[in-house]
Amino acid sequence: MSLRALWIISRENGENVSTFSRRFSTVEHRAKKLAGSAYVAVPEENTVLQLLLTELGLTESDKSYVALRDDCLHCRRSPALELRVDGPGKRTLWPVLAISQGPLILACLPLVDAPPEPRPPLANLLSVSQGLTLLAGLETYLLGSGSKLDSEGLSSRLAMLPSVLLQICPLGTPLDVPPLGAPATPIVPTPAGNQKQPSWKTGLHRGRAMVNVALIETVRSMQYGNQSRQDLWDVYGTVTCKCEVEGVLPNVMVTLTLPPNGSPLQDILVHPCVTSLDSSILTASSVDNCDGSAFSGPYKFPFSPPLETFRLCSYTSQVPVPPILGSYQLKEEENQLHVSVILKLHESVKNSFEYCEAHLPFFNRVQMSVVDVRVSAGQLDVSKEKNLLVWSLGQKFPKSREVTMEGKISFFGPTPGPTDPLYSDLTAYVKLHFKVPDMTLSGCCVDQHSVQVYSSAKPRIVTSRELQSKEYFIWNSTGTAPVSSGQMML
Amino acid sequence: MAVNWAERISAFSRSPSRFLSGTTAEAFLAELVRELRDDRASYSVKVLLLSPLCESPILLCPSDSVGEETALELMSVFAQCPPKFVDFRCHLLLALTSVLLCSSCMSSCSCASQDFLDLLLEIAQDISDIHGDGSLRSLQATACDCLRELEACCPGILSQRLELLGALRQRETSRLHQAYAGLHTLVLRNAVYQLTQEAGAGAEHLKALLGGNTSFAWEADQDSGLMNKKDSAILSSVILGPVGTVPTLQTGPDCKELRSVLSSLLEESYLLTPLCQAALLHRLTEVVAMVPGVPPAIFRAQLLRLLGTSEVCLLHSILMMKCAFTDSLFSAEDEAFILKRLVVLSQHPLLNTPPKLFYMDCLLHFPENRPINCSDGDETLPVLLTPQLASALVPTVFNDSTTMLTRFNLLCLVYLEEAEEGVGEDGRGLAYLYEHLTSLMHIVEHGGSREIVVTFFRAAFLFLSYFFYVERYSNSLTDKLCELYFHHTQLAPHLINLADQTQDRLSGSTWGVGLLKALQRAITEAPLSQLTVHDLRWHLKMLARVAEEGEIPQQNTLNFLSCIITPSSSSLCVSSGWRLGNSVLGVCRRLLIHPSLDLLLIPLADILQHLTCHYGDTDIQDHARLYYTLLTTLSREKLASVLMQGEIQGGQQVKKQSLSCIMAESEGLTAMLTVHQTERAIFKLVEVNSELEEKMQADHESDLNPNETDTCPDEATAAVGAYRAQFNDPDFASEITLNFQLTHIGAHDFRFDQLFSIHLHFSLMDDHYEELSDISVPCLFRERPPPVVKLHLKPRRPYPTTLCASAIFTTQDGLSWHTNLPDIHVDFQQVFMPLPAPQAWGRASKLCLFEGLWDEMCQESRENDCATSRFCCQLKEAALLALVEKRFLPFLVSDLSTNKELKVLLFLPPQSHVLLKIRSEEDAVHFDIATDNWQLLSHIGSYLLTITSSQEDMQS
Repeated sequence: MSLRALWIISRENGENVSTFSRRFSTVEHRAKKLAGSAYVAVPEENTVLQLLLTELGLTESDKSYVALRDDCLHCRRSPALELRVDGPGKRTLWPVLAISQGPLILACLPLVDAPPEPRPPLANLLSVSQGLTLLAGLETYLLGSGSKLDSEGLSSRLAMLPSVLLQICPLGTPLDVPPLGAPATPIVPTPAGNQKQPSWKTGLHRGRAMVNVALIETVRSMQYGNQSRQDLWDVYGTVTCKCEVEGVLPNVMVTLTLPPNGSPLQDILVHPCVTSLDSSILTASSVDNCDGSAFSGPYKFPFSPPLETFRLCSYTSQVPVPPILGSYQLKEEENQLHVSVILKLHESVKNSFEYCEAHLPFFNRVQMSVVDVRVSAGQLDVSKEKNLLVWSLGQKFPKSREVTMEGKISFFGPTPGPTDPLYSDLTAYVKLHFKVPDMTLSGCCVDQHSVQVYSSAKPRIVTSRELQSKEYFIWNSTGTAPVSSGQMML
Repeated sequence: MAVNWAERISAFSRSPSRFLSGTTAEAFLAELVRELRDDRASYSVKVLLLSPLCESPILLCPSDSVGEETALELMSVFAQCPPKFVDFRCHLLLALTSVLLCSSCMSSCSCASQDFLDLLLEIAQDISDIHGDGSLRSLQATACDCLRELEACCPGILSQRLELLGALRQRETSRLHQAYAGLHTLVLRNAVYQLTQEAGAGAEHLKALLGGNTSFAWEADQDSGLMNKKDSAILSSVILGPVGTVPTLQTGPDCKELRSVLSSLLEESYLLTPLCQAALLHRLTEVVAMVPGVPPAIFRAQLLRLLGTSEVCLLHSILMMKCAFTDSLFSAEDEAFILKRLVVLSQHPLLNTPPKLFYMDCLLHFPENRPINCSDGDETLPVLLTPQLASALVPTVFNDSTTMLTRFNLLCLVYLEEAEEGVGEDGRGLAYLYEHLTSLMHIVEHGGSREIVVTFFRAAFLFLSYFFYVERYSNSLTDKLCELYFHHTQLAPHLINLADQTQDRLSGSTWGVGLLKALQRAITEAPLSQLTVHDLRWHLKMLARVAEEGEIPQQNTLNFLSCIITPSSSSLCVSSGWRLGNSVLGVCRRLLIHPSLDLLLIPLADILQHLTCHYGDTDIQDHARLYYTLLTTLSREKLASVLMQGEIQGGQQVKKQSLSCIMAESEGLTAMLTVHQTERAIFKLVEVNSELEEKMQADHESDLNPNETDTCPDEATAAVGAYRAQFNDPDFASEITLNFQLTHIGAHDFRFDQLFSIHLHFSLMDDHYEELSDISVPCLFRERPPPVVKLHLKPRRPYPTTLCASAIFTTQDGLSWHTNLPDIHVDFQQVFMPLPAPQAWGRASKLCLFEGLWDEMCQESRENDCATSRFCCQLKEAALLALVEKRFLPFLVSDLSTNKELKVLLFLPPQSHVLLKIRSEEDAVHFDIATDNWQLLSHIGSYLLTITSSQEDMQS
């Protein structure tokens, strides 16, 4: 349940360099005893870097085939890499876990606390899931959860790493993930009483009590407009909380409710601060045939909150229809494309968007020259150098809840536009981006009055919900969508 | 001189071997310890200094005794460090733990380790700071971590302290309770394990253990301590799946004490961070598995909370419980639920890729309640994973490569069963997988990235490895690959690799040969008019591979070769160019050893003859002639044996310059033409007694019989004038010569035993010296005496410096290498030269000069760079004489035996002097210093300090 070594590699000027490494000598000592004659020592930093990059396919990018890197036999099928320390066929360092994110590659080597031969499955090594947890925690700590990279912050956090590791992984045994935001406060004893303070709670809140519960549902969709292919969509929701409540171990309860006849929430995952769960909450699963008698709420989540913002729970839901149904048709004539798009907003969806946009990119063509396209509502932006049409529908669909786009695009430009081998010929899509405040597709909601806080002061309670899209594609029905029909075997 | 510790430490951690090739572990350790003891060093630097001890203790403390000594040093540093430097004190504890464990002092129960254990326990029990600022708490947390690591490495070392540890855990209410809980659980687990190994141990022993609080294991019972045993089984997890057997302790149902400890640990598990919680649950699972008297149901209260978790390590601990307890804790329903949960998590939109891959891996090693086959390590599908359930994991082109291949592999396994049982609805699953493969190929065809190309070929290999016998698909795949190759000939290496691997791995499959045959047909039957040079290169590579197959007829290949080398109006003709010619010869060479050579003899001879006479490259002509001669004169058997040998050697690193290697194309040649970089330093320059010193010694002796002539000045100003006049020649005495031996270092590596044409290059780190010219050394053999290398240094300013050295050399096998040597340090005293006085001068004249210079320097100190100073130290008369004899004899101007005051004149090129008058006073030895370059004062000061203190040490 320990790690032998940890590495952080960053990309600088197109090259991967090792920026941090830590070897845990006492764990190595154990590894040697455990593996006996099968022991493989951890090579020096540069060697590890080279081997790791080879495994990740990142070496010699100018060569199309390198046997050591591209051999079809050498197929990675688990999160654990195998570093071939002595060239092919010889000894290997296993299981090296690696996460590649943004400019960073984080890697660690968990201890194998089982007989080395035959190689034990990952499922028998707790250090593997611990290593994954630690790496993910370090990644969030170093890069932040936001999408933008803050390189100054990154280097200052890298500099802090030795003292962070002293707290969370002192001798190679991961104890916690790095604290986000403020650096870890020293362990201050709790004022009084016998209640033990949770180790995941870095301090105590003092002051006004407040509970904020935000429910965000995300909808994804693949629509083909084709008889032989069934359209797909799915919905998942997350409940994020920020609780400022006094006490060492205060109790809070959040309840999710569904409208009558709402389809049950599935695949519920909860934060470790949830104290107990009713078995009925966990029964519904998306990979199961749903039976109508399934439990459909209310879903109660009793927990004791940590200080920081956290994801209390997540779920998936099966809704009968997608919120926006689209059709997309392209016809090619010489260098002209006839475009026809229809979007229908389902009647159950609130017609009040924060934004709603449809993006139509065209790949593997020369730049567009004449764009003669009309839209029945909203406004069209043409970006000729990107070969992209952006159709902004604004805050509302018209009363008919249906909008259309019709017209012709000519491609005569002198310079080639963007390319992507996935979208050859008439393989093309419309991608929708939208957000609807104060609604969910599943109908799930957190009632402000259902949030219970068992503490002396009466807290202010804020709840919110919204629906957003992600990977919402409508494929051109006259071309081949790059997704095999087999997905619909269900 | 301030040392940049941050840089040095990071250089060490980057490559300890390289760092230590420039110094010794002993010296570096001594430096670290000295700096740690230095009051002037800041504590942030000291924390840094501890990291080599934490990370590589074995390198620095290679033996028990060094480890013990270092630990004692560190403990005394700890004792002297003020409590407010918490960070440093914590790091010190970690360093001590690392040193004591890795140097095996701990397992041999050395004094230092006993002291250290006492210290840790004392810190862990300290309650003085209960309302303080928390600094003690951090230290206590680290002390617990150290204790836990000691127990982990030397299991059982704390087993007699179980009661104390339990009490500490229960008392603690701050976040620190987690550290105590982790420690307590591990000690408990190890103690129970130990009992299982003792014959006749039972409930009573367990009870005694839980209540025990005597001392460390080694004091209590030297023999039973498991840490003395070589056996590492106790370090290993006891939960190993169906093949592992769990050691058990028979207690009967009555083990109240253990139960209550377990319940209290479980009750509080919620308060631990997920990582610690998972570790705790795992340890407790082990304990319950070892003690059948405790029912696994003790975990039941935690299960629901853990089954619903989003944390990968917590769910993992459930899987391990399932593995340990199977149906004694998990019903069939539970099992189905967990499996479904794993499928859901394997594709959950909110999870990152690595945990999803982990869950998929767990699906293939699912701990079933009633496993059908107990094959450990192999991937097997759990019975409950139906095609319907698995369909949630079908691969799509939007997956990243690893996910796609993992899903592809999983689905192959699912449909393999379906195909074997013949229950699939017309093999729709298989059809889907094939369709997916073709959509990947479609992307490759349209110019997919390198990654997608590699992924496609891996997926193809996976597909074939499961379904090569389904001819409908494998034949179709062959056709499609041929088509793909024709549009993208640069994929030849991938296709060759696929053919190689299918041939190698899939016994009973001839698919690889079939593919090669199809490719040969496609290449040779395509219209030649459309052939480009680019494609031809790959075609020749491909045909060379096809020619290795004995069962594939090669007539078509020969026809093709014949067509492309004979001029024709309609197609490309290969008539010149070394590379292309070599590729053609590559095919010919393989054909020479083809089993059907008899059938190919005449056309092959024609081709070789044509190349010999008409090819536009002499080298190719020669090779073709050689092949032709071999083909027409040698018997088949001989031919095969000559060429096969080359074949075998061709794949290896070391090449003999044999006939067959000259003939083989490409790879070997690039290796010969490239300069390779060595991984570590191969040799270094070691200073030897400089000749100059020896010569001067002789000179000095000759001084003893004075033979002064009239031409020698005996008056100070005249002496100075005559002396100075020599410097009109700018090259006069401007150079120092240092002698080095070039010797091998590091581990024995036979490749580098004999080195030739070594070309040494030096670069300077500062501008105190003129650039050095390169030096050539003809050879360096490990078994012969090392060659001497003379370095001629021309100072601009006579300061100490460091030279970086690198070398290019050739090894016996003809490869060229570049390597870096350890840096060369030029010390201040190495720049000293004896007085460059005219040859004829005797001692008297030199003394005159000394006085003249001395007076000048003392007078003019205000106007130019002159300066005077004094250095004092405690030295006995004899010690002083020994010192002067040892260090200053070549530079001595006065007589060593007679004079009360010793006069030393150090000349430092190009034109600096340091004059010393040394005399013993009552209280101390005085070194009066005069110099014409005041910047040398600091160097001479520290030099004097070093040599006098070492002299003192010798005395004491």
